[in-house]
Amino acid sequence: MSEKVKIRLKVNGEDVTYEVDAHMSLMRALREHYVWDVKCGCEVGECGTCTVLLDGQAVKSCLTLAAACDGHEVWTNKGLGYRDPLTARLQEAFVECGSVQCGFCTPGMIVAGAAYLKHGGKADRAAIKNIISGNLCRCTGYVKIVDAIYLVAKEIEEGRLTA
Amino acid sequence: MTQVSEGSYIGQNVPRSDGHAKVTGAMVYPSDVIVPGMMYGALLRSPYPHAEILSVDTTEAEKMGAVCLTYKDIEPIKYNERSVSIPAATYRDRTVLPDKARHFGEPLMAVAADTQELAYRAVRAIKVEYKVLPAVFEPEEAMKDGAPQLYDKIYLGDEEVAVHNNIGVIRNISEGDCEAGFAKADRIFQESFELGRIYHNQMETKCAVVKPEPDGSITVWATAQSIHANRQLLGRVLGMPLSRINVIKLPFGGAFGSSIQVNTVTPICAYLALKAGRPVKLVSAREEDFYSHQKYPAKFTVKMGVTNDGLITAAHVTALVDFGAHQVQPLPFLGCTAGWFASLYKYEGNIRFDGTAVYTNKTPCCAMQGYGNPQINFAIESMIDIISNEMGFSPVDLRLKNYRGVGDEFWGQGPTIRSIIKSCGVEQSLVEGRQMTDFDHRERPDTKTGDVRRGLGLARGFHCSGTGGPKEGEVIDYSSALVKINEDGSVDLLTPVTDHGGGTWDALRKICAEVLQVPLDLVGLSPAGTMQIGYDVCTHATRGVYCGGAAVYHVAMKVKEKLLEVAGRLMAEHAYNLEVVRSDGLHQGVVQVKDFPAKSMTIGDIAKQAQNMSWGTIAYTDSYRQRNCPPCFTTHFVEVEVDMRTGVITVPKVLIFGDCGNPMNPDLVKGQLVGSFNRGFGYTVFEQLPTNEATGELANKGLLVDYKTPSAMEMPPIKDVEVILCDTYEPTGPFGAKGIGEAALASVQAAISNAVYNAIGIRFHKLPLTPEAVLAAIREREAQSAGATPS
Repeated sequence: MSEKVKIRLKVNGEDVTYEVDAHMSLMRALREHYVWDVKCGCEVGECGTCTVLLDGQAVKSCLTLAAACDGHEVWTNKGLGYRDPLTARLQEAFVECGSVQCGFCTPGMIVAGAAYLKHGGKADRAAIKNIISGNLCRCTGYVKIVDAIYLVAKEIEEGRLTA
Repeated sequence: MTQVSEGSYIGQNVPRSDGHAKVTGAMVYPSDVIVPGMMYGALLRSPYPHAEILSVDTTEAEKMGAVCLTYKDIEPIKYNERSVSIPAATYRDRTVLPDKARHFGEPLMAVAADTQELAYRAVRAIKVEYKVLPAVFEPEEAMKDGAPQLYDKIYLGDEEVAVHNNIGVIRNISEGDCEAGFAKADRIFQESFELGRIYHNQMETKCAVVKPEPDGSITVWATAQSIHANRQLLGRVLGMPLSRINVIKLPFGGAFGSSIQVNTVTPICAYLALKAGRPVKLVSAREEDFYSHQKYPAKFTVKMGVTNDGLITAAHVTALVDFGAHQVQPLPFLGCTAGWFASLYKYEGNIRFDGTAVYTNKTPCCAMQGYGNPQINFAIESMIDIISNEMGFSPVDLRLKNYRGVGDEFWGQGPTIRSIIKSCGVEQSLVEGRQMTDFDHRERPDTKTGDVRRGLGLARGFHCSGTGGPKEGEVIDYSSALVKINEDGSVDLLTPVTDHGGGTWDALRKICAEVLQVPLDLVGLSPAGTMQIGYDVCTHATRGVYCGGAAVYHVAMKVKEKLLEVAGRLMAEHAYNLEVVRSDGLHQGVVQVKDFPAKSMTIGDIAKQAQNMSWGTIAYTDSYRQRNCPPCFTTHFVEVEVDMRTGVITVPKVLIFGDCGNPMNPDLVKGQLVGSFNRGFGYTVFEQLPTNEATGELANKGLLVDYKTPSAMEMPPIKDVEVILCDTYEPTGPFGAKGIGEAALASVQAAISNAVYNAIGIRFHKLPLTPEAVLAAIREREAQSAGATPS
């Protein structure tokens, strides 16, 4: 029916080989391989729930062709939480600050926040709002999400955490 | 229900216990459920707003390996997706799949295939011949003689009833003597208001996974606000005993009412799974989800009589509601809307409500955070502002003079469910808010100049906490719980209550921990399915903590009785001489002799000893019904800036008062109030769902990118969002608690609109206040004042 391609990529630090339809999105490919923390909210790049790091950049995995990721590195919120102290701290901060309600937008939101902090983002609420403006949350009104990212940015600025 | 103990978790900010699973991405939502051998479903949705299905040919789709389902495969059992009302108050008009399309995007046929993509391809291979019928989209048009008719007959309970002129429900309610009240008034005001449809946009789309089990039963995972409602409806449409249907409770990606009914996809998914003999997963695409359910629109005319000293003497509301192609309970919707109206102010007891709800060829409407409350609140709270401005009253004083408070009657769920208000934060909210915002010294709109004008506005609202009353009404309300003490002193809590992100489950754990005096982390929330636990009507009507919590309280109290009885036998003491206290040192609940704490046993030792003696497990299960529906109050003081050049409204500052009784977890309550402000801001200034009347399709085609909701960019500066929780205690609530969820939205819309009036002197009667609408109103005023200027 549809052409299959074999892609080799690094997902959350592990080398994997996926056989996927040539036209499949990275989001579908990840979810079909049990990487469920990448959520599907719209599948057309509107909501940001599927945000992952692709070679260190935050991307919407539903708009990223899986076949084009051959040879590239993907980190999701779950993997980052295990391996990356900054993301682990940001995850904790989300709990501390009450940034989570239904939690469906949370993995994508944390990846967007982690990408910001990793690229030297400052403890600046306006800039943080801007960086998560592509991630929709219907529960929280964003206030406490911004608070959590701000809190960790502050810790980095004060030298208590390394970006 | 009793006061909390010293050091209680109740009222403390405890990080939510599901937080870790949610932030790490470990939490499993219904759309994540995977079952071995699972097929994927897809729906053929109507390309027309109104059409008869003349023929269906599924041959090609079946050749592709798909299992196909049409109306010919299902029992034509009529039902209403929402089943919280008693049968005699429930209209039934739909089947699992129809033989006639009544709105664009209505599911008509379904397939299941080995991959999602194959399922979509198979849907395209189904050949359908339609006879396209004329469609009608506006309620006024639908009621005209000769308009296209959606139904000839429907059912009310078991009675067949004819439908005339598409009118689905008429609900007229009258109390006191409106005419006499208006005669007593010095001024009569009459205004009309209009609120359009909006969409929930819960982040997880509606979905279901159904697995046929080896014993002939089915297991169901679904986006569901009530597991038991899902089970009961599935039992009815599938003709299966309820004992063979296990609907599993899961967290899901946002509700806001979107899954308050049994979602359309769920029975379709069950039929597919049974026909295929394999598990099936059916997930709505976002573009489909827009056509599942939307918020009820409403058109109101409000008439109020007021005396010169600010007494509202009578009020008359007429409401016209277009609820779309199927009834998801517009009957209680109208009753509730009447109740919110009746309960805001006293009106000297003279009220009249004339409500009409009409079928149109649009998406069915369901509850969305408030069930008519945000709609009617916008009308009434705008009226109060209009009256204040016209007659020179302070908007604070006019409200203080007329509001319903302690000792007054509150209609928690329409005219049949009423209780007496016993706790009320209205006065505190209005008086403190007035001082904090210097409300009495705000400037009049006609003194303001410049391109950006700032205004301050106020509105107040509420919602019920549950739907219980002293007498049983037309809405069912009770909850269940099971509490069991384990042999190490930890506790298993089973509850059918769902948590949509507000933290309901933690509140229930806290109530259990407080009654049994065990450390919070020792109270485990057990997985629950309909096979394991008694009925709960639904997490709706802001009832999770107040009603679900009351059931947990009741059952935990029974367990405590058993615990003390067992401890008495072990300790050779009368049970009434014993008490439980929490020991953080031992990390246990401890039973001790009153006034002689040296004689004590941990709960773990008691349970273990009871096991060693073969006395049995200390456990209990029961249901419990609240007999009140106390209002939780909110008040919003909002500052806006209106850009006269662009029409853009921004909110630089907001002060929110919330009265939830004794808050279980203050930070989570505040989080709900802030989140609701965000949704209310979207409702007020952005969100709308126009229909392309040529095709019946939504103008945005179901795309979020063309349905503007607030992003982080539009929220007020974070330091300027202030939330204050009122100092109240609800005597009928578990440890003094009421709800907050839906109240949190009720008054946002009117507060913003009233602030806009204070900024620019233009009254808006219709939502949303888009830049286009604001600019048009500014231009119109300019044209009028230019015309009025003598040359």
